[in-house]
Amino acid sequence: MLQIESLTKHYQTRRGTVRAVEDVSFGIGEGETVALVGESGCGKSTIAKLVLLLERPTSGRVLFEGNDVRRLDRSALRAYRRTVQAVFQDPYSSLNPRMRVGAIIAEPIMAHAQLSRTDLQREIARALDVVGLPQTASRLYPHEFSGGQRQRVAIARALALRPRMIVLDEPVSALDVSIRAQVLNLLADIQREFTLTYLVIAHDLALVEHFSTRVAVIYLGRLVEAGPTREVFAAPRHPYTRALLDAVPIPDPDHPLAVSEQAGEPASALDPPPGCHFHPRCPLALAICRETAPILMGDRHQAACHLLTEEPAR
Amino acid sequence: MSVSIATPGPRLLGRLRLALGLRGVPWIALLVLLLVLICAAGGEAIAPNDPNDLDLGAAFRPPVFELGGSFATPLGTDNLGRDLLSRIMGGARVSVIVAFYAIILSGSIGALAGMASGYFGGMIDTLIMRLVEIQQSVPSVALALILAAALSPGLTTVIVVIALTYWAWYARIIRGEVLSLKTRDYVAYARVAGVGTATIFLRHLLPNILNTLLVLATLQVGQVILFEASLSFLGLGVQQPDVSWGLMLSDARQYITHAWWPITMPGLAIMLTCLSANIVGDWLRDRLDPHLRQL
Amino acid sequence: MRLLQVRDLQTHLHLRRGVLRPVDGVSLDVDEGETLGLVGESGSGKTMTGLSLLRLLPKGAGRIAGGSIQLDGRELTSLSEREMARSVRGRLIAMIAQDPMTSLNPVWSIGTQVMTPMRVHGIESGARLRAAAAEILRRVRIPSAEKRLPDYPHQFSGGQRQRIVTAMAIGSSPRLLIADEPTTALDVTIQAQIIALLRRIQTETGAGIILITHDLGVAASLCHRIAVMYAGRIVEQGPVRSVYRKPAHPYTQALLAAIPRLGAGSDRLTAIPGQPPSLAELPSGCRFAPSCPHRMAVCDTYPPETEIGDDHRAACWLHARPN
Repeated sequence: MLQIESLTKHYQTRRGTVRAVEDVSFGIGEGETVALVGESGCGKSTIAKLVLLLERPTSGRVLFEGNDVRRLDRSALRAYRRTVQAVFQDPYSSLNPRMRVGAIIAEPIMAHAQLSRTDLQREIARALDVVGLPQTASRLYPHEFSGGQRQRVAIARALALRPRMIVLDEPVSALDVSIRAQVLNLLADIQREFTLTYLVIAHDLALVEHFSTRVAVIYLGRLVEAGPTREVFAAPRHPYTRALLDAVPIPDPDHPLAVSEQAGEPASALDPPPGCHFHPRCPLALAICRETAPILMGDRHQAACHLLTEEPAR
Repeated sequence: MSVSIATPGPRLLGRLRLALGLRGVPWIALLVLLLVLICAAGGEAIAPNDPNDLDLGAAFRPPVFELGGSFATPLGTDNLGRDLLSRIMGGARVSVIVAFYAIILSGSIGALAGMASGYFGGMIDTLIMRLVEIQQSVPSVALALILAAALSPGLTTVIVVIALTYWAWYARIIRGEVLSLKTRDYVAYARVAGVGTATIFLRHLLPNILNTLLVLATLQVGQVILFEASLSFLGLGVQQPDVSWGLMLSDARQYITHAWWPITMPGLAIMLTCLSANIVGDWLRDRLDPHLRQL
Repeated sequence: MRLLQVRDLQTHLHLRRGVLRPVDGVSLDVDEGETLGLVGESGSGKTMTGLSLLRLLPKGAGRIAGGSIQLDGRELTSLSEREMARSVRGRLIAMIAQDPMTSLNPVWSIGTQVMTPMRVHGIESGARLRAAAAEILRRVRIPSAEKRLPDYPHQFSGGQRQRIVTAMAIGSSPRLLIADEPTTALDVTIQAQIIALLRRIQTETGAGIILITHDLGVAASLCHRIAVMYAGRIVEQGPVRSVYRKPAHPYTQALLAAIPRLGAGSDRLTAIPGQPPSLAELPSGCRFAPSCPHRMAVCDTYPPETEIGDDHRAACWLHARPN
């Protein structure tokens, strides 16, 4: 349904070129939940912005159902906006504090069609109902709601246009632990009910394992591993994925974290290490890792590492 | 599955009521401003005497609390025997009109320029900011002189000059606000939803800079009145027989050694108005900001 | 004698909209060389509890309304502000705040920032100050510590900044370290390093640590004992193994069931319905009752703290013994 091809995004800053996204390719099938994981600054949010057309790629393409989204004519572009929606991370800044909830939910609808008042009310009512908020909510302002409730409003707003795909940028990281479960369950429910496709940006690996069908691991702008979630987490093929998984603290006192203090710091995207970006921190680095960037190998479960010996990915 | 909603906070009107009922409200400043507004509205009709009524026999009568003063002219009279109190009340109108129109004009131009500059960035931003810098390096009085020579001196000229002088100040500050607002998720969302740029300006940017604009405007009242007074003092603004505080200062200048009150009284009026406007502006800023931060 | 003994601590915040009671009768103990995890969600009062120990409450609005705090047998609530500042804060009890980006002053070199607490508390002085600062930075594994003393915070990464903040805290060899969400703002790999750092510091210095966090994984990795807070009170506390394996309080159980775990598959997460009560209007009964699946009529009265196992206590009617 959505295909990303060799997507690259460079930002020119005073200090040099920031290579936020470097030659990333992957696809999302209908009904799937694909998670993009990585640590801060790895470029996953930038990829989301590129998909949502909030930023222009330096090179590469985003294909929606086979069509390059940058080459869509006006009406096709509007159709794209109706089909691909977004929910952002911060429930406090994603809602305009001066608009009532009803108006917030109606905004995307109004941008695309002129509905009569009754039709509009009906759509708003439906959206509120789906996310489990009472009808009285539409007259209130965002500040009168808790974080979890505001996130529900954001979800209602995303659903207003009956999209087929939703990009979720860290949808629950700003919420309390007990509220996260509520919102995640809600997202799972509506995915089933409306046959939605999700692209989730997240850094919480346990959450990703619980919530997604496929996962793509990004390090310093490059895709280092991708595949079905369960498989990637059970048998990671890239040293970075392994390091990430090892670093997740398990809520079980009998399995405390066993990490050394010297795992190293991520390099900056301004001046990434040559060859494989991960080589300075990699316990298995070879000479070739310093020189050449590895290419993705494998079929369903791909990884980019010189230590793997397989067919390069198609 | 029903979810309970937190107790709703007071709405805008309720918030206002709450605001007025609390300590810290600058009653005196508000009262002064109210008086000025009343004088501006009533003008000659409510003044005890006709501001232009000459009475050379009563020239330089001191204020009522000095020897020789009278209740008929409680603040004294000027060199032509005109009642200072009535002239001050009459002059209030000019100050209010100038403040009103000049602030609205400069505020609108400045806000629009600031919004465009902040939101679009790039060439538009560079262009507008260059204009701002040029504007701010031209001394306002020089600008006033040039314009007064080009147009005829008078109320309109004063308003135009003030608008041209102060728009740049608004533009800079609003640009800063918009730069930070631009990155808010709800603006990004509006773009994702396909909302048009004009609608984004109107619905997302404008309401959120309204607070800042309001505070800037109140803080400007003092500046504008002073500016008008300076212009009129220099002869570039309001002309006789219209009354203006600045004109009163200018007229009384030469008689300072003779009588202190014709220059001091309008001076006090200017000072009190500016001070009150500043206090109210400060108070508004405190009231509106933390409230939003609490949310 | 325990290192820290807190009994029935109450802290009130006097705000315009009412009086909040973020700490409403909290009792806890910390021994030397022990890490106590204070676990709770936002609004539970855990950060306020930490700040109350240091009496770093919002000026005017916050005050300790009752209870006792004893450090090495010395009562802290009765000390004057001067004595607190001079002998306790930064000396006997130190704090590592949450966000390393804002805990360090961007215009001072890290050398100055590490040396200042040591100088102020009279640990070191003069020429030995620099050497001591370099030494402590070495202890937190900042490479080339001596050479980097004149560098500024922005020249370090997030993880390194957290180490520097830790160095500032342990510079005076405090008896108690309060770490308020020390890893929340960090990436998971850096978080792991900081957890290892804190473990080592504790072994080396024998200090007691109170770890304030909402992350049950981090708590499990670092703490010997756990205290779970909800709406201003501790609802369950005990040895970490005991609380995680056999959670007694329904809130603890719900919390453990609500977090996704690696390797657990994608069954539905058990969500906790409702929300915690507002800290301005606390009910007189059990505060978790409205969201509790085991709610009973008796829950309208606040349950007593009952001993469940060795040093494992919970405040819940389900476990209360009949008198």
